[in-house]
Amino acid sequence: MFDTALLPLTWRVTRRRLVASPLTLAAGLAFPAVIVWIGLGDSYETAAKFFFFLFPHVFLIAAQDMVRTDIDGGALENVLFLGGRFRRFLWAKNFVLAGAGGAYALLLFALFSAWGLALGEFRPVHAAQFGMGLLAGFYYIGLAGTLSYFLRAGSNTLVLLLAQSAALVGLLFSATSRTGFLDYAASGRFPGVGSKLLFGGLVAVLPNLVVSGRLSAFGAEVLAGLALSLFVQHRLVRALELEK
Amino acid sequence: MIEAYRLSKRFGPVQALQDVSFKIRKGTITAMLGENGAGKTTTLKILLGFLRPDSGTVIVAPGRVGYVPDRPVYFTWLDGRTILGLSDGQANGNGKDPGARILAVAGDLLFDPALLRRRPGSYSAGNAKKFAYVQNLVARPDLLVVDEPFAALDPPSIKCVRNLFLELRDAGTTLLLSSHMLAEMERIADGFIVLRRGTAIAHAGIKEWRLLRSARTAPDLESVFLHLTGS
Repeated sequence: MFDTALLPLTWRVTRRRLVASPLTLAAGLAFPAVIVWIGLGDSYETAAKFFFFLFPHVFLIAAQDMVRTDIDGGALENVLFLGGRFRRFLWAKNFVLAGAGGAYALLLFALFSAWGLALGEFRPVHAAQFGMGLLAGFYYIGLAGTLSYFLRAGSNTLVLLLAQSAALVGLLFSATSRTGFLDYAASGRFPGVGSKLLFGGLVAVLPNLVVSGRLSAFGAEVLAGLALSLFVQHRLVRALELEK
Repeated sequence: MIEAYRLSKRFGPVQALQDVSFKIRKGTITAMLGENGAGKTTTLKILLGFLRPDSGTVIVAPGRVGYVPDRPVYFTWLDGRTILGLSDGQANGNGKDPGARILAVAGDLLFDPALLRRRPGSYSAGNAKKFAYVQNLVARPDLLVVDEPFAALDPPSIKCVRNLFLELRDAGTTLLLSSHMLAEMERIADGFIVLRRGTAIAHAGIKEWRLLRSARTAPDLESVFLHLTGS
């Protein structure tokens, strides 16, 4: 299924789509601006917390509307995608988006690290956090891409954002009885299976949580989720036909 | 060039194709005819790999395939120049500006090259169709499949496209045209396939069609078609 010959074409099409998307551009520019604003207003350490927690969302925004509009719109019937190449194009999109998001995140991380080094506040654990953030970002691309086979336009991303909001609101409302849960999450140590499962459910919709660096088991969960979403997507794309 | 054997395809309760078989020789123009819903587009999409048949096989000889849909659609964020650059890049192994060749092809099809700066979504239906032809010809196909080849085109463009088909055929390209414009098909086609309700009810190759056309009392294609389909 993977076709390296199709990567340049996929890259050129996807790059222009990202640049032509106002939401992606706005998110890509606003994110570093917010981090700088936090860093200048508060501290580098606080900015680092926000940076590592939020940058996986760059991948989620970039993954909006990965598949369904291409299928329904008719553009995949173009001569560029004949002979089943449209399937390989859709599959290659995962890797191109992951590469583009990863390159952008790496650039931001390099700048952010340089800032930290200049202030003398950069810590080696930041590199591990960045790695876990990348994993969360790749998970978003796999998951949003799979959802995009069923959901039109940007609703694949919207559904995940709504699920995250609902999970966080639910957590806030139950915070009184779960003060310990938040502490467990911060320390990475859980007293029982129930709280671990609950946190695992939260990680499934908000994988950014694994950037704390103390949650290796949940990092494995995100990795497994990524593999599962790519497996499902591979099955979907293999069975895909352009009926309209 | 193309050999289809007992193709069948069902969409839910609708049997779109049932045991459709035909052969198309290299360097010929074949017209695929049929009423609305006869299965023409489904057959084309199976040949092009957009659909998989439920049963049956299709063999297409190795080579570059082109496709001009009835209503061409493009990525809305790409302008015409970029799309042609990608097409040429796929065909020739580079993504560079194809320049002179695009201008020559555009000229042959009466397509205004100034439109290439705009996105094809903003083109008129006729220009979008001509742009699809330009894109395909830039990619230099060995087999060109066209759904409604003259739809949305003005008379001068129809003449250009007709001449282009004949030139391509003479150069060895195989053309498969799906159309309702029987008079046009009769002028250029070397053979025809008639579909009705998902089955191939007639398939005439070059020899049969030439024989039929040479007979003094031969009916025109429209009469043959109406007779075959019972319309």
